[in-house]
Formats: sequence, structure tokens, C-alpha cells
Amino acid sequence: MTLFHKVLLGFVGLAAMLPLIGVPQYWLYTLTIGLYYAMLASSWSLLVGYVGRISFAQAAMSGLGAYVSVLTGMYLDLPVIPSLLLGVAAAGVLGLFIGWLTLRLHGAYLGLTTIAFGEILRITVTAEHQLTQGSRGLQVRPLIEGAGPATYYYIFLAAAVASVLLMLLLLRSRIGLFFQAIREDEDGTASLGVNVTLWKSLAFGCSTAFAGLAGGLYAHFVQLITPSMMSMQEMGYVLAMAVIGGFSNVVYAAFGGVLLQILLEALRELGEWRLAVFGIIAILMLRFAPNGVFGWLENLLKRKG
Amino acid sequence: MQPQLDISNLSKSFGGLQALKGIDLSFQKGELVGLIGPNGSGKTTLLNIIGGYYKASGGAVTLEGHKTDGLAPSTLARLGIGRSFQVTKVFKRLTVLENMLVGALADWRLSRSSARDKAHGVLEKLKLTRLADSPASSLSGGQAKLLEFGRIMMLDPKIVLLDEPFGGVHPELKRFMYEKIVEWNEAGATIILISHDMGSIFGLCRRVVTLSYGDIIADGDPETVRNDPAVLEAYLGDHHAA
Repeated sequence: MTLFHKVLLGFVGLAAMLPLIGVPQYWLYTLTIGLYYAMLASSWSLLVGYVGRISFAQAAMSGLGAYVSVLTGMYLDLPVIPSLLLGVAAAGVLGLFIGWLTLRLHGAYLGLTTIAFGEILRITVTAEHQLTQGSRGLQVRPLIEGAGPATYYYIFLAAAVASVLLMLLLLRSRIGLFFQAIREDEDGTASLGVNVTLWKSLAFGCSTAFAGLAGGLYAHFVQLITPSMMSMQEMGYVLAMAVIGGFSNVVYAAFGGVLLQILLEALRELGEWRLAVFGIIAILMLRFAPNGVFGWLENLLKRKG
Repeated sequence: MQPQLDISNLSKSFGGLQALKGIDLSFQKGELVGLIGPNGSGKTTLLNIIGGYYKASGGAVTLEGHKTDGLAPSTLARLGIGRSFQVTKVFKRLTVLENMLVGALADWRLSRSSARDKAHGVLEKLKLTRLADSPASSLSGGQAKLLEFGRIMMLDPKIVLLDEPFGGVHPELKRFMYEKIVEWNEAGATIILISHDMGSIFGLCRRVVTLSYGDIIADGDPETVRNDPAVLEAYLGDHHAA
């Protein structure tokens, strides 16, 4: 285990201690939202960093997971866990479909197509007022009746750690090797007997399923969802979090999610300017430190070690 | 005897350009065939159709009696067609060993440890063992070509399509590659080799097929093809042929 890995584990250990050392509820709430973004940013990194497929529909997929989970609970009277799982499945299946539909698209064309999908989903949710209450938003039952911020914080910490570990497990398997080979060269990968169509579609499906899980959990935590969680502004947050954390690695991206959420709260006085600042930082990171803050930190610790 | 690979009345058009004009060719198991022709004669197009990268406009490709029309490159690779590319397609951000493992692990029956052992064996044959854990981006052009050879070897292919394997390769490394191609062929693989390096083609191949403007203009042993007026004309122009 490298020094960097020990530092990361230290952060996770410290995170587990926070409710016990009397961190204010406001910050526990903020960190819980940060863990939601950690799941979302790492799921985006799984697709973009490892398979080389760009998507701007990740926030919309999170929203899909949230709405499916909430609506199946409301209208089918399902308990929370099965409805959450249905949200994950819906996001995963739609992701698989988008992955298959966009097989031959690359770069800007793929990006624009995913924006279109994301917007179709957001507009549908907004327009289906009778079902979703449109922009007024839907009241959502809690994940656990009567649970406090510390309980939610631990649930999100466990979910984020489990999601990242699952992604790492997938990436260390032969499937992860196929993903990375596809990112490097699709024709070269196909020439070695790898079913590029299958794995490209599946990568989309896996990535969006994780986003759906994040969205479902988020809905039952904040207990009010609106179509704005599927907006391009939300997608912008996720993108900035993954890029600033380091989108070439799901762990860096997850830490980027938490870091930026903390900064969003700490810099609240700057108002909307925070977004401009993050945009500028993301552009500078892409230019000067493409592996993000945590990639840069890992290299630094490697050199010192 | 039924040919291992049979190409019948194969044509390919790109808009108004006819890259292949209804060619017929067949390859027996264990042949080592050179495919030559001036730029734009249709050599790489033919390889791309055999490998499943292009769909033919007409005609058929038959592998061991089964038509391969519409099959994806990955399926054809699993059926035993391995290929290298004119511009190498090594996975630069993966290590040399990981490059080798991709094809082997596409066969789900093979365990990771068996694939790894097999990869180390091939790397040793190719004298790339010391680079196993280096990123493929650190390889020289020649080493990248060798790595592509290695990746194909991992597939145990029946037919190997090599597109300009000697381009930009140091003469010493080129000799080493000759040896590997001959060993491969002697082990039973059919090899179809495209090269502009006539020394390599006439030195290695027992049969040479010449394409010009999408047609086969010569097909025979190297000596006959070398002296064929149509081949000389295709390469050097009318007055030289005369």
C-alpha cells in the first residue's frame, strides 16, 4: 500500500469519526450531500476516464433513479429498498440503451446526443405534472423514519465507499481491462476478439446505474425532489467535481465530489460566482494537471516516498 | 481441397470509387502469401473486409466453408483471424503485459493466471520480457510492431493478416520479425502479408498476389510475379514494362 493510499484511508477513517467528535449537524448535512456528489462524480469518471465515452446525462440519470424510486414507492406502494433498486435498474437499462444507440458516435456528437437525452428526461419529468408535480417538486418519504443527520451521513458514507469499491472491483477484473483497451483503440480491441459493442453499452449501463443509486438515496435523504436535480447546471457541478478531483480515477473523482461540496458551502458568500470560480479551476486543471488535485497529490507523495 | 479462406467475386465501392472490382482469391492452410500493389490498389481494403472492418459491396468471403458476411471483427478474431494494422494500434496507456492479456482474456474459458503465463511465454519469445510492466507508450516504433505480433500470437490464430509490419523498423529487428513470421507459418498459420518492402515480400513469401486499381493482375510464385510485365507496368509505368 502506497503512502497516498494510506492518506486516502486516513481520510475515510476520519470521515467515519466525524459524527462521534461532535461535528455540527449543518456540516454533517453538507458532507452527506458531498457523498452524493462523490457517487455521481465517480460514476461519471467510470465512463469517461476508463472507457473514454463522454456523457452529459449523468445528473439526468441520477434524477431518473430518484423519480423512479419515489414514484414506484408512491404509486405501487413498494417499500423503500425495492423502489430504490427499481430506480437503479431503470437508470442502468436506459444507460445500456443510450450506450447501444450511440455506439458509433464519438466526441462532440456523442456529447450532444447525451445532452439531448438528459434534457428529454428533465423536460418529461417537468411536463408530466400530474405524476411528478413538475417544478413544484415531489415530497418524498424518508429512507428511515425518524433518522437523524448522523444516520444519513453513515448511510451515504457506506454507500459511497461501497460504490467506489464495486467500481474498483469491476475495473480490476477483465472487464475493466476491456474498458481501458476500448478507450485506447476500439478497432485494435475488436481485433483481439473483444466484443466492443457489448462492453461499450455495458459501461454506459454500469455508470448510469451507479448514478441512479446516488439519485435514489439523495431523494429519500432531502425528501423533496424537483426536475432541477437533472439540469445542466447540476451536470456542470458533477463535471467540475470529477475534473478537479481527477476523472482518470474513480477514487480521485469521488474525493473531488466531497471537496467541491465543502468548498461550495465554505464559499457561500461568493454566491453564483462560486460556479465561475469552479469553471476556471476546472479549465486550469485540464490544462496543467489533467489527473486532478488528487492525481497531482499522488504523484507528489510518490516522489517523496 | 477446400481452401481455408475463399474470396469470391468480392467488390467494394466508396461512393464513386471502386476499390475492389469483383476479385477471386483463395488461400490454402499454411500458405505464406505476399499481397503487393501500388498505393490505392485495394490491399488494405481487402484485409479490412476479411477482418470484418468493412462490409463488402458484393461477393463473399468464406472461412473454412462458412460465409463471414456481416460478422464483427471481434467474432472473426475469435474464429481465428488475427491482424496487425498499418499504423500500430497498441494501447499506449496500458502496460505491455496488459496489452498482451486483452485478447487472451476475451476467451472467458482462460483464467487470468493461465493468460498471464501464456503472455510471459510469448513476451520471452519476442524478447520483450524486460518491458512487460512498462507502459506501451514507452516502446519504440519497432517494439510496438513486435507487441502487435505478440498480441496476435496470444489468439493462436489460424490466419494472420499483417499490414505493413516492417514500416519504419530497424533492419536488425526486421530480420527478427522475419524469423517470427516463418516460425508462425511453420507452426501452421496461414499468413497474408502486405508490404511495400519488396525484399521482404520476395524473400519470405512462396506466393505473391498483385493488385492494381482493385483488380488482381498477377498471382503466382515470386519469380514469375517479379517478371510479369503487368506488375512492372503497375509499379513503374508503360515505358519500363516495354
